[in-house]
Amino acid sequence: MLYLELFIQGLVQGSIYALIALGLTLVYGLLRILHVAHAALFTLGGYIGVIVSNATGSFTLAMIVAMLLVGFAGMLMYKLAYEPLLSQPPYVSLIASIALFIASEEIFRIAFGPYGLSYQTPPLQGHIELFSGFYLKYAEILVMGLSTVLMITLAWLSMRTRTGVAWRATVTDPDMARAFGVKIQNVRYLNFFIGSSFAAAAGVLVALLNNLVEPTMGSVASYKALAIIVLGGLGSIRGTLIAALLLGVLESFGTIYIGHLLDRDAIAFAFLILVLMIRPQGLMGGKL
Amino acid sequence: MSYEITLMTTMAISVLFALSLNFISGFCGQISLGHAAFLGAGAYTSAMLSKASVPFLLTIPAAAICAALLGAIIGLASLRVRHDFLAITTMGVGFLFVGIIRQQEFFGGEIGIAGIPSSGFGKVGFMLICIGLALTFALFSLYVRRSWMGFVFKSIADNEDVTRVLGIDVSRYKLIAFIIGTGTAGVAGALYAHHFRFVGPDSFGFVESVSVLAMVIVGGIGSVWGVIFAAALLSVLPMLVQFIDDYKLLLYSGLLFAMMRFSPDGIAGLCNRLFSSIPRRVSANNGDKR
Amino acid sequence: MTEILHVSDVTVRFGGVCAVENVDLRINKGELIGFIGPNGAGKTTLMRVITGIVQPQQGRVLLEGVDITHKATHLRIRAGLALAQQIVQPLRALSLLDNVVLACGGDKTRHALKSMWITDIKSERKQARELLARVGLSHVADELPGTMPLGYLKRLEVARALALNPKLLLLDEPLAGLSQKEAASLADLIAKLNADGQTILLIEHNLREVMRICPTLYVQDNGKSLAFGKAEEVMSDSNVRNAYLGIGHA
Repeated sequence: MLYLELFIQGLVQGSIYALIALGLTLVYGLLRILHVAHAALFTLGGYIGVIVSNATGSFTLAMIVAMLLVGFAGMLMYKLAYEPLLSQPPYVSLIASIALFIASEEIFRIAFGPYGLSYQTPPLQGHIELFSGFYLKYAEILVMGLSTVLMITLAWLSMRTRTGVAWRATVTDPDMARAFGVKIQNVRYLNFFIGSSFAAAAGVLVALLNNLVEPTMGSVASYKALAIIVLGGLGSIRGTLIAALLLGVLESFGTIYIGHLLDRDAIAFAFLILVLMIRPQGLMGGKL
Repeated sequence: MSYEITLMTTMAISVLFALSLNFISGFCGQISLGHAAFLGAGAYTSAMLSKASVPFLLTIPAAAICAALLGAIIGLASLRVRHDFLAITTMGVGFLFVGIIRQQEFFGGEIGIAGIPSSGFGKVGFMLICIGLALTFALFSLYVRRSWMGFVFKSIADNEDVTRVLGIDVSRYKLIAFIIGTGTAGVAGALYAHHFRFVGPDSFGFVESVSVLAMVIVGGIGSVWGVIFAAALLSVLPMLVQFIDDYKLLLYSGLLFAMMRFSPDGIAGLCNRLFSSIPRRVSANNGDKR
Repeated sequence: MTEILHVSDVTVRFGGVCAVENVDLRINKGELIGFIGPNGAGKTTLMRVITGIVQPQQGRVLLEGVDITHKATHLRIRAGLALAQQIVQPLRALSLLDNVVLACGGDKTRHALKSMWITDIKSERKQARELLARVGLSHVADELPGTMPLGYLKRLEVARALALNPKLLLLDEPLAGLSQKEAASLADLIAKLNADGQTILLIEHNLREVMRICPTLYVQDNGKSLAFGKAEEVMSDSNVRNAYLGIGHA
């Protein structure tokens, strides 16, 4: 049952992509900024997760701390890096973001060394046998489970709570939202907080899957996440999620079948370019 | 002397490469995050031809044509997408290029192509060729900026829709900018191949594309002099301050961020503001700095 | 009377909504037609069909008898249309003069590759100065748009459109956002341009000014043509009055 195996592997990877890409699409939807440095928060989450886990022995605590701290780090990033650049043409914030990202990779390398850190006692390493020969690690089940839970929570929050409605209003029409008394500043902070903490969760999970955090783990994820949000149709959350999962599965199959033509990471971009040629607004994007 | 010659050659090639991107991103406003792919296309073309005993000078137009063809395809594709998409699409092209090259033994795979023969002009001769080509393109850029084509480019960079409403075939102009810019990057690639005598997939990746874009932006997007200055400086900075080699990327990206934060129109913008106390004759055409 | 524009039986649908339905409109040379209608009447949509930004599901647009329904926007402009847009969009990095100079350079910018070899700009600059004078902007010709008031930028839109030597000038709500004095002044300019021979289609909400300067009116409501004819007759048409009742003043 190779296909099913590949498919599930693809979903696991896709869930990770979804968690990362969500933060990106949240920021783009609100501010029209391509937040490349988002991947730095992903890596930061991974590092914090490993450090706290090794220090306290509790993985759950590590996850919570990572999500909280990185959420705040994201807000800080907005305040210091993006807010001052809002009035500039879009390429300015893009380059600033890329610069921030490269700088952060370097900082991780200098602070923690180029070889990375590992869990002392990695949790959830056991696995269950789904059917003959195909094993699914507990960690992988956690990835899919946690992603789903986080996504559903977010969806519920945005639909059912006042904050959620305020956020959606701001994305659609900031002036109107302001007229209704919504504090735009707070909405932006919330936006960055949620997106960043989801990225942190992804970082902790990836660290768990590979039992390794290292300074460059964010780079490929960041570029792919960008491809994903464009693929999904910039600003569309649903599109992003679909694109993320789709990409995960595509890569899984792609590496086996067309791996001799393209390396794994290029598959994402080949797919992106193909789709954009047929449908320039992305899978779920509105009219261009 | 030999060290200085190498330095000058590296600078000249970087200047040419940066000016080629300036043509696309600076003059025409199309932000490309995958420009290194065209450098690579030219470099690989030139390298493989040279190893097949084609004389160095002949590999240059071949490299240009190969890169320009690729550029034409990308350019046509880019016409369908808009600003934010364009940056990411071009980034994708860059990754795709590296991804494909890496997997094909024909291009040397992971290892690349080594042992590229020397240009045959000696170190000084080669340096002069590089400087000559860089100078030629710089003059060409300055000329185009003064021409009606440059005027249209400026308008496109300012507001594409308005330019269209003024009856201008925006798509054709963008395509031409792309072809000229990428073809010239191909020339730079040919020079690169014969300077470093080695090409590999890692030389033409995302970091390389970001670096050259950084040169254009730090110089001042659209400003020919600014870009020349920034490219020359940034290309040799890592070599000149080797003792902080370990921190060079950090320094580099920190500088870039500071630039964006405090002077997004680059060094040219800084200079403009510095000298704005001198009454400036308002030019009726875009003959001077932006 | 030479017919300049014929919008023939045009229908535009967006999803399930019919924005424009079976609209037929003819404009003759030298006319100044006021295109009015309540909000949501489909005026902007029809304008977009004429300029090519929107494609109709049905119908044709003919410019001097030539079918331009599926032609790209820039080709329509070359064929003789010019548009002054509702939301002013000056080229911000260029002076007001240069904005118009670019529009004057139509012949030189027609062929992209050829444009590379031409640097002479004197005659276009002269032409541009004359046009700016015609719209009353001579005194700010060398300024950048960033510091200019809205009224000036609206005039710039008109000057730029005139520079294209259009057979038909389309003005999309040029008076919107202007004070009463400014609006009257700009309306006078429009009337003068028409008196000098320019054919104009004027979309406007400002009924006071439209009534004052437009001899002919075309009314659209809910995507359908409602009335077309002499201003006084149209405004006394009960259908037209009903359409405007309760919508408020322009």
